[in-house]
Amino acid sequence: MSPKLDNNFKVEQSAASDDSIQQVHARLQSQKPEKKDGYSLTPLVLLGVMCSAVFFGSIYMAHNAVRFDPLVVNEHAKREKPGAAGAVALTRAQLGKKIFLSTCATCHQANGLGVPGQYPPLAGSEWAQGPEERVIRIVLQGLNGPITVNGTDFNNVMAPLGAVLKDEQIANVLSYVRAELGNKAPEVQPETVAKVRAEVADHAGYWTAPDLLKIGQ
Amino acid sequence: MNSNVTNARAEQAEIDASAKWPVLVFLGSALLWLLLGGALQLAAAIQLHTPSFLADCAWFTHGRLAPAAQNALVYGWGMNAAFAFGLWLMARLSATTLRHGGWLFVAAKFWNLGVTLGVGGILAGYSTSFELLEMPRFVTLILLVAYAIIGVWVVTTFSIRNTENVYASQWYLFGAAFWFPWLYTIAQVMLFRAPVRGVLQPVVNAWYVHGLYGLWFAPVALAAIYYFLPKLLGKPISNYYLAPLGFWWLVASTAIAGGSRLIGAPVPVWIPTLGIVGSMMLVLPLVILSLNFLGTLSGRYGSVGGSLTLRFIVLSIAGFLLSSVLGLALSLRSFAAVAQFTLLTGLRDWLLFYGCFSTAMFGAAYFFLPRLTGKEWRSTALVQAHFGATVLGLVLMTIGLAAAGWQQGHLLNDPAVKFAEITRALAGWHTFNSVVLGVLLVGHVAFLINFVWIACPFNSQGTPVAQINPPPALSLAAKEGHA
Repeated sequence: MSPKLDNNFKVEQSAASDDSIQQVHARLQSQKPEKKDGYSLTPLVLLGVMCSAVFFGSIYMAHNAVRFDPLVVNEHAKREKPGAAGAVALTRAQLGKKIFLSTCATCHQANGLGVPGQYPPLAGSEWAQGPEERVIRIVLQGLNGPITVNGTDFNNVMAPLGAVLKDEQIANVLSYVRAELGNKAPEVQPETVAKVRAEVADHAGYWTAPDLLKIGQ
Repeated sequence: MNSNVTNARAEQAEIDASAKWPVLVFLGSALLWLLLGGALQLAAAIQLHTPSFLADCAWFTHGRLAPAAQNALVYGWGMNAAFAFGLWLMARLSATTLRHGGWLFVAAKFWNLGVTLGVGGILAGYSTSFELLEMPRFVTLILLVAYAIIGVWVVTTFSIRNTENVYASQWYLFGAAFWFPWLYTIAQVMLFRAPVRGVLQPVVNAWYVHGLYGLWFAPVALAAIYYFLPKLLGKPISNYYLAPLGFWWLVASTAIAGGSRLIGAPVPVWIPTLGIVGSMMLVLPLVILSLNFLGTLSGRYGSVGGSLTLRFIVLSIAGFLLSSVLGLALSLRSFAAVAQFTLLTGLRDWLLFYGCFSTAMFGAAYFFLPRLTGKEWRSTALVQAHFGATVLGLVLMTIGLAAAGWQQGHLLNDPAVKFAEITRALAGWHTFNSVVLGVLLVGHVAFLINFVWIACPFNSQGTPVAQINPPPALSLAAKEGHA
């Protein structure tokens, strides 16, 4: 059957006609090669190759695609999810910024410089950086009357905020004022605020500058 | 029985006659581009070890010469040859004549006009910066319109087929007819019409280059291999029932494997990772195609030597397997750490384009040209020179690029070695590769001379008329090896 293929390179003779090639292969496509004994190993091995290709391909993707993050260009990048690193602890000064901007910045301004002749500055202020008992009292029960800040005289009223802000909020906002705005004073703890709140429970009305100067000498 | 055979023979003669001129025009242009591209490639290769060569002429500086050579070979030789072979085989297997061949002349004219303008544009300095898309933008439309005609002809010829059954070669040709325009238009739109930004550009480019080789040239070559093995051995493809699985798996994996070209590049890491997975998935079609091809050949290697086409087809199978294995290796991150961005990546593409695709086209041409023209090959010596040069060139080029690429990769990874020293260290290999390109070019010239003798109507004295015997029917029994 096997034709002699000595064509001498002049012209190639074919050993099968086109239509018979198509007919034979159409039959072969639907039928597997016959095995007289046992089963055929090839399809099983190929099934194994297919399954392991999909399996290991998926594992490899999961390990090296780094969450399909468009910004990661190296497969050795950290593989933890963004939330898995745990919460970052914020300082009291950082926590107090929001309260400062919503409560204090209306009068004292966001930069803490106040308004000349109207509201005294907090930035660089000897009061803000002074004894914490005094500033806690001002925030809790307000301030009324003349006061000298950074060598300038002011005469205005600050509303009491003790009913509005909790101890921790007061501690945070004071820590912010004392650590930011160019100030350098230690932060205030909520326990201190609670202690002062208990001390001033029997004090009625606004504080005045002379009264405050007697405290925390 | 005898009258059936005669009928089949008459029908085939009719098909071949209808395909004659379109195929000859496409193949003739392809061969001219093969020589021109080869010459440009040789010049570009010489510049790598003798930088002063042609350096004074702006048109022939390396930055223009290298892409011009690659584009001339891929779009000039590769596409034209694929058109010639694809149209002929589609007509043959669909058992229908190639209708209205005049339109294919128009398409051939426009395609070659486009490639001429494109290669000229690159040499004149109007190239873009994207691999295999270097041709100036205005060429795109010419190429697409020309391709549209050719693609429509392939698909229409398939849809008016006179056969009950569809063979594997037809799946690959039919698929490739759609994959090329898909790849080309998407790449053009995403890179030039409405360009994506930043790192997405090399991603699109890598996907296109990988697709062009893997979803256009490889399928055309596989169509040739699937056709010629039973055609010349008189034996059905073994394990043919696996071929559809291999086809679909190959297509799906190749479409996502392009990212593996970007291992180590600064792109989102999931893209090369997906490419690696896609490349690894190619193990399955590789096994199936090996079972199909090597299984069919097994026990028949003795008869390969007697058939010129089979010799080239066996080369093509070897080229495909080597290129695929190298592609698998290159998608391993540890191997890529050395081999990425060296001559080895070029070797992978070259093995597929030249080792697999071009050799399949040579083999096919040696089969169908005597049938189209009714003449014999005039010079056996030139045929043997062509085959010898191809084998020698393939073996030497594979050794040369592999050794040079491996050395280059190690030198590049050593921070103590200066770049200029690497260039000097590789000069010897570059000289070697230039010589090999010269050898290949000699083979191409030999083929062109034989082609002119067989195809040129004015020069037919002395070219004997071919005696083509009616082929016997393929029988299932031949598979088991008893008569």
